[in-house]
Amino acid sequence: MESLANFYLIPGLVLGAIYAMSATGLSLIYGVMGFAHFAHGELLAFGAYAALVAVRGLGISPWAAIPLAIAATTPLAWAADRAFYARLRRSLPAVLLISSFATALMIRAVLYLGFGPTPLSYGTGIVPPLVWAGFRMQQRHASIILGATAAALSLHLLLSRSRAGRAMRAMADDPDLARITGVNVDAVIRLTWAVAAALAATAGVFLGIDTELQPVMGFNVLLASFAAAILGGIGRPWGSALGGLILGLAEELSSYPLLDGTPLLSPAYKTGVAFAVLVVMLIVRPQGLFRGMG
Amino acid sequence: MEQAALYLATMLTLAGIYAALALGLNLQWGLTGLMNFGGLGFVAMGAYTAALLTAPASASHLGGFGWPWWAAWPLAAFAGVALALPIGAIALRLRADYLAVATIGIAEIVRLAVRNEDWLTGGPLGVPGIPRPFEALGLPWGQVAYLALVAAVVAGLFALAQATARSPFGRALRAVRDDEEAAKAVGKNPARLRLQAFLLGAAFMGLGGAMLSAFFKFMGPEALDPVTTTFLVWVMLIAGGSGNNTGAVLGAVAVWAVWAATDWLAAQLPGELATRAAYVRLFLIGLALQVILLARPQGLIGERIGQR
Amino acid sequence: MALLEARGVVGGYGEADILHGVDLDADAGEIVVIVGPNGAGKSTLMKAVAGLVRVRAGAIVFGGEPIADAPAERMIQRGLAYVPQERNVFPSLTVEENLALGAHARPAETGAGMARVLALFPDLAAKRRVAAGRLSGGQRQMVAIGRALMLKPRLIMLDEPSAGLSPKFCALIFERVQAIARDGVAVLMVEQNARPALAIADRGVVLAMGRNRATAPGPALLADPAIGRLFLGG
Repeated sequence: MESLANFYLIPGLVLGAIYAMSATGLSLIYGVMGFAHFAHGELLAFGAYAALVAVRGLGISPWAAIPLAIAATTPLAWAADRAFYARLRRSLPAVLLISSFATALMIRAVLYLGFGPTPLSYGTGIVPPLVWAGFRMQQRHASIILGATAAALSLHLLLSRSRAGRAMRAMADDPDLARITGVNVDAVIRLTWAVAAALAATAGVFLGIDTELQPVMGFNVLLASFAAAILGGIGRPWGSALGGLILGLAEELSSYPLLDGTPLLSPAYKTGVAFAVLVVMLIVRPQGLFRGMG
Repeated sequence: MEQAALYLATMLTLAGIYAALALGLNLQWGLTGLMNFGGLGFVAMGAYTAALLTAPASASHLGGFGWPWWAAWPLAAFAGVALALPIGAIALRLRADYLAVATIGIAEIVRLAVRNEDWLTGGPLGVPGIPRPFEALGLPWGQVAYLALVAAVVAGLFALAQATARSPFGRALRAVRDDEEAAKAVGKNPARLRLQAFLLGAAFMGLGGAMLSAFFKFMGPEALDPVTTTFLVWVMLIAGGSGNNTGAVLGAVAVWAVWAATDWLAAQLPGELATRAAYVRLFLIGLALQVILLARPQGLIGERIGQR
Repeated sequence: MALLEARGVVGGYGEADILHGVDLDADAGEIVVIVGPNGAGKSTLMKAVAGLVRVRAGAIVFGGEPIADAPAERMIQRGLAYVPQERNVFPSLTVEENLALGAHARPAETGAGMARVLALFPDLAAKRRVAAGRLSGGQRQMVAIGRALMLKPRLIMLDEPSAGLSPKFCALIFERVQAIARDGVAVLMVEQNARPALAIADRGVVLAMGRNRATAPGPALLADPAIGRLFLGG
């Protein structure tokens, strides 16, 4: 029981929190701008590497580098929007999707050029785990779960309590009506990118702290995030967040040795779990798990 | 001189294989509006099917069975269809972007399976010793003969794709792509039409995979890279003009020429710079795609990608 | 000079013009009803004023300022509110949030606007926290009109406010429209339901094929047998 919690549930929650942050941003972009943003994984990776530069250059901890990672990733999202997506705003969603895909290749290439393909790490060293009655938890895991919770709360306040958040939800409901109601559409789009980029950059730093940094690190997260967003009903931020948690847990638990010590599923296929869940979802409930603007 | 001719034949062979993949994608995306971002999965199915059927018997993977290529390749096309059928049955009812995600996911699962199911695929060691048709003729004539075979196959696929596009079936596909409701109103069955186009496109990709494995004489996980197997094909189709078969073939040849030329240029650079050049190329594919989408969304020739 | 003056408006969607030189006036406190057969350009004219349809020629002057081709999202700031016929509420937002969005451009006026709108449509008070998508058609229309009134516009444009409503709600909406006009707001309405709308119209404008056919006080148009035969279905 304890090993289940220590080695599967907690890592599952951590991975789920990272997926959730990424999927929520995807969902917001989809809601406001109406297209699947395939460069989202690269925003995440870019944030992780931006923090690495700060960690190495300033000698600070990766946690302290998160604001800098956000400050670097947000302008990147704005620049991609301005250079490419804004000019294609009236095109079919498919065209925007392909364009975001091209953006992903460009960002990934820049990361390869700057940092090479070898995995890197923040070099935080070894910190003793928190121990409580047989339950062990890595301190970084505790921090990531807390950090993700804080991010979720902030997002909730932004969307439900603030004027800007209300305008964002209005845009997601009906962009044309929002325009004639006097909502500044460009401002809402800028805010959406900022929020999505901040979530992605933070998730990237978390992933870098938990594992390691690689230019393709975002791609695997991207696929799981899409699965999470579809699972939760794309365009609904809370559903997507919950979808992310479910997928993270499912991935880790899939290799739990439930029967006579052999894993349920070979760990080599862990990253395939998200898709298995996705495929099942698409068959049984394509509108997503949850109803309403969850 | 002979060296140059050999190089040219090699490059043209690969361009032809890419043309087959681009024609398959054109059936799916250009003609029918299906976003398949998992080309790699279908290519892998075809490539491994052909590899295992034609390779000599080996203990490191299933088979091989030593079949002649002409018996194995149709089954390779069929293997692409076999993968496409369940995906299509599930995902084609859904929105275009869901299909894009689902196909990437399937391609990733195929990649994981290829890497991990050693008994079947040889795992990371792959399937070596795949015979290439006409290699008994020796160099350079074997290479030229294989190029001729690939060219003949591509010509056949092109004729088939053209006939499809011009047939009532092709008109129905375009009708479904452009206005599903209107197509339904005149009695078309969009789900069925989409599935048929998806399967046909997957068959093209499976056959492309078979030609690829025979060309390399080897098939392994490293030979299948999403950038070159899936995304480069998208660039080719969009550059050439989606919806237009001639555009798909021209796009494949033109983009492959640029790709191969930069590859050759990069190889001339000293050590470290050569690896970096590969990343510059990655950046440039992305940039090229953006520029085409912004400046010439209809491609070099061909149908326009519709405006909302 | 009238609050709204449109002269010789030419425009439409894409290449094809729907309006071929239309004039339109509206004064403060006046109810102006545009009627005419399908395809006459009634809604298009309204959208042209709202900045949603490109105006190729002619002038639209509002409060002394030219507004043709001004961006739609700035109209509310100028005191010009537009309520489309369909999809005129944000379904996942509550009634209160829908109304608050009406004051998005000047948030300081949210409280005062909300009080005014709830006084005009008391039924909405009990539904403040209900998602607008769950309301009945009539209540939704009230939310849409209420949202447009939040910033005290000088002109409100309603595209077929009675479409799909029960006779009871139609009567209520028309009665409220008169109350809005009594406050000094100019009301511009397009109505299929032409007879009851013209009955309350200070000015009726008959359009056909993108051109003005007649302009007169509503009751006078109703009394004109030629107009009745041609445009009001007998």
